[in-house]
Amino acid sequence: MKPEALKELIYKMADDLLILGHRNSEWTGIGPLLEEDIAFSSMAQDKVGQAQNLYQILHSLGESEPDIVAFTRNAPQFHNCQLVELPIGEYDFSLVRHFLFDTADALRWEMLTISSYEPLAQVAKKFQGEIRYHVLHAKTWITQLGSATEESISRLQLALNYAFPFALGIFESSPYEKEIIAEGYFGGEELLKEKWMEKIKSVLNETQLILPDEKIITPVLGGRVGIHTEHLQPLLDEMTEVVALEPHAEW
Amino acid sequence: MYGGGTVFENTGFKEIQQEDPALLAAFQERIDRGEKIEPSDWMPDMYRRQLIRMIEQHAHSEIIGALPEGTWITRAPGFRRKLAQMAKVQDEVGHGQLLYSAAETLGKSREEMINDLINGKSKYSNIFNYPAFTWADSNVISWLVDAGAIVNQLANAKGSYGPYCRALDRICAEESFHLKYGHDAVVHLATGTPFQRKMVQEALHRWWPPLMHFFGPPDKMSIHTEQLMRWKVKMASNDDMRQQFLDMYVPKIWELGLTLPDPILKKNLETGKWDYTEPDWEEFKRVINGDGPCNKERLGVRKQAEEKGAWVRRALLNPQAKYVQPLA
Amino acid sequence: MSNPLQSLDPRINRLGVHEVTPETLVPKTGLDQFETYEAFLQKREGAKYEHVGPVHAPNEEMAFLFAKEQYSRRMTCVGLFVVKTDQILTTPFGPNDNSIYDLLPTDNEVVSGDPQVWEVFHLKKRGIQHHHVGSVSAPSAIVALTLAKETFGAERPVVNVWIIPESQIRFTSSEEKAIWDTLKDKKYRDAISYKVQDRIDRYKQGHPNLQSI
Repeated sequence: MKPEALKELIYKMADDLLILGHRNSEWTGIGPLLEEDIAFSSMAQDKVGQAQNLYQILHSLGESEPDIVAFTRNAPQFHNCQLVELPIGEYDFSLVRHFLFDTADALRWEMLTISSYEPLAQVAKKFQGEIRYHVLHAKTWITQLGSATEESISRLQLALNYAFPFALGIFESSPYEKEIIAEGYFGGEELLKEKWMEKIKSVLNETQLILPDEKIITPVLGGRVGIHTEHLQPLLDEMTEVVALEPHAEW
Repeated sequence: MYGGGTVFENTGFKEIQQEDPALLAAFQERIDRGEKIEPSDWMPDMYRRQLIRMIEQHAHSEIIGALPEGTWITRAPGFRRKLAQMAKVQDEVGHGQLLYSAAETLGKSREEMINDLINGKSKYSNIFNYPAFTWADSNVISWLVDAGAIVNQLANAKGSYGPYCRALDRICAEESFHLKYGHDAVVHLATGTPFQRKMVQEALHRWWPPLMHFFGPPDKMSIHTEQLMRWKVKMASNDDMRQQFLDMYVPKIWELGLTLPDPILKKNLETGKWDYTEPDWEEFKRVINGDGPCNKERLGVRKQAEEKGAWVRRALLNPQAKYVQPLA
Repeated sequence: MSNPLQSLDPRINRLGVHEVTPETLVPKTGLDQFETYEAFLQKREGAKYEHVGPVHAPNEEMAFLFAKEQYSRRMTCVGLFVVKTDQILTTPFGPNDNSIYDLLPTDNEVVSGDPQVWEVFHLKKRGIQHHHVGSVSAPSAIVALTLAKETFGAERPVVNVWIIPESQIRFTSSEEKAIWDTLKDKKYRDAISYKVQDRIDRYKQGHPNLQSI
């Protein structure tokens, strides 16, 4: 058992899900149409709930309780990819981020159903259904808006061009990449990225959108080792504002 | 959530005296028998118009009501509160959807209703024109404003219009979560640290006057009340609902040692009714007509959400699409 | 342009919201909303599908996505379907104590054509939801209604009947049923998971002279 490697894997996943869930919750009540507002909020709750589950596993591995771990760390201690901390922007960006991230995440969870670490495999199996909806939702929106009007296509294209380098940062290699793969915890970021590129391409082929050329893009890395954009610390300050009023109180 | 103090107005259409007396009588008999009215039944113009107005205002209240508590979604302390706050605000949006759909069965499109909200023609529950200053304010809203709404909704769920009753059944089921959640949060603050207790006590003092306004002015100031009660559109008087609310919740506030800013608030054991300082109904009128602390912000946010989302709706709208009313 | 409104909500401040003034109100031109779809839900395996309400959506795939979150966020669900509202044939509403089938004119017109499957829904009482009673095979909706009367008409009272062409329904596929797997774990959404009486009792014990009625 390589606890540091395992914890690193789970931390980055939990941090991704918490930060993205937090960002997506900012749309609650102000979405482009009522029914979609409701759907997007459910998915944000799912993500935060999944994060909580993962922090709970970390707790069983010796880390502090989920509320402490999530609500008292600062930006350099978070290992989420930079993609998820970016501001929500307009709905075009949020949808594109949802599509790029959730597609990768669904594949990640699928790969984890055969993790050698049993608690992780169990939780991965549990979330298969939930994620299925997220992916269906993302695919439906991107496919439809990506072929609808000149306006929707160009908005999505701009968002895709902007988000893609950040999305590549999802697959930034872990400092413990070799151990993670060798111990069988997870099949590795490279394999995940391969599967992801295939999936992304197949969906985008059904639209008028063009996937930026990976060969000429510099991926935005650093998130996995605590290097973040100027957006993360303010996000965390906001997220922990009430907790910080009385750090040891029960709310 | 919605409290009442519905603005019933003359809307210049067929008056009751102009309706066919035989149809009117059969309509009243149906209501008296306890049978719900469904969308394709004959109904008097006034019934239709007043119901649209009432359900529409209720729907707007839910959508706007999502905003004060929405203030605290990103800052909710801890996982349980974070998840619950998201779910609660989501529910408000969901209730809005259910209510717009119910109103649509009467012939007004959702688009028209949202237009009327933004241009100020349609009103929403006045209590949401006040700001949620602290996390404790949000909890007080979740508990006591929803408690008020439940009193109103339980009464209206026995009303005569089928689609509205169906919507209210769904809504009431979810409101019980809101109430328990809000109460749970307030109890934690009231029994927590001195700082937390102070925060919730101050929030309570801030929100008490709007809560006393919540059910609307005493009924002698409302018009058309008698007819609407016979048609089971208005189910209980504003004062009755206010008394119910005080009866159910003041003891729960007091049992936490929290105080309320009304020195004469007390249950009169002789009359069996609560005595209280008469709320300032001039302020109520001022605020509901646009002069409250948050009116501009609430509508501004709603309008911006509509505008920013327009490209999405434009992109997906099928040019052959036509407006279709929901069935039930 | 005026300055943005200052809000207590940090996310609103990030959006830069402005006051609505008469000049900024641009009336909507044309239709700015979607058609409606009716949604139906199955709570448990073997239970009847029940109507739950409408969603506005641009197409049936979106309608399915929307209905899932609007109508099955709580309790249990194993199946959901949506159908465009204008595809549903409806009868008028009868009184509570009778059968609307009795009040319909008999249609003896012979209709030819390939038979399709039509799902039949009854409303037992005004004010509740329609529920599924079964399906019939017929070349048209009107003939389906006649067949429905013959097959299901004995179930009284029937206040209202809906006839829905199966071909127009977007069902839940068997693989999709998993989307409701974690519904029971979302306890934070349930009233019953908030238990606070102990806390209140402890407080009352420590503070004997509280104000009361």
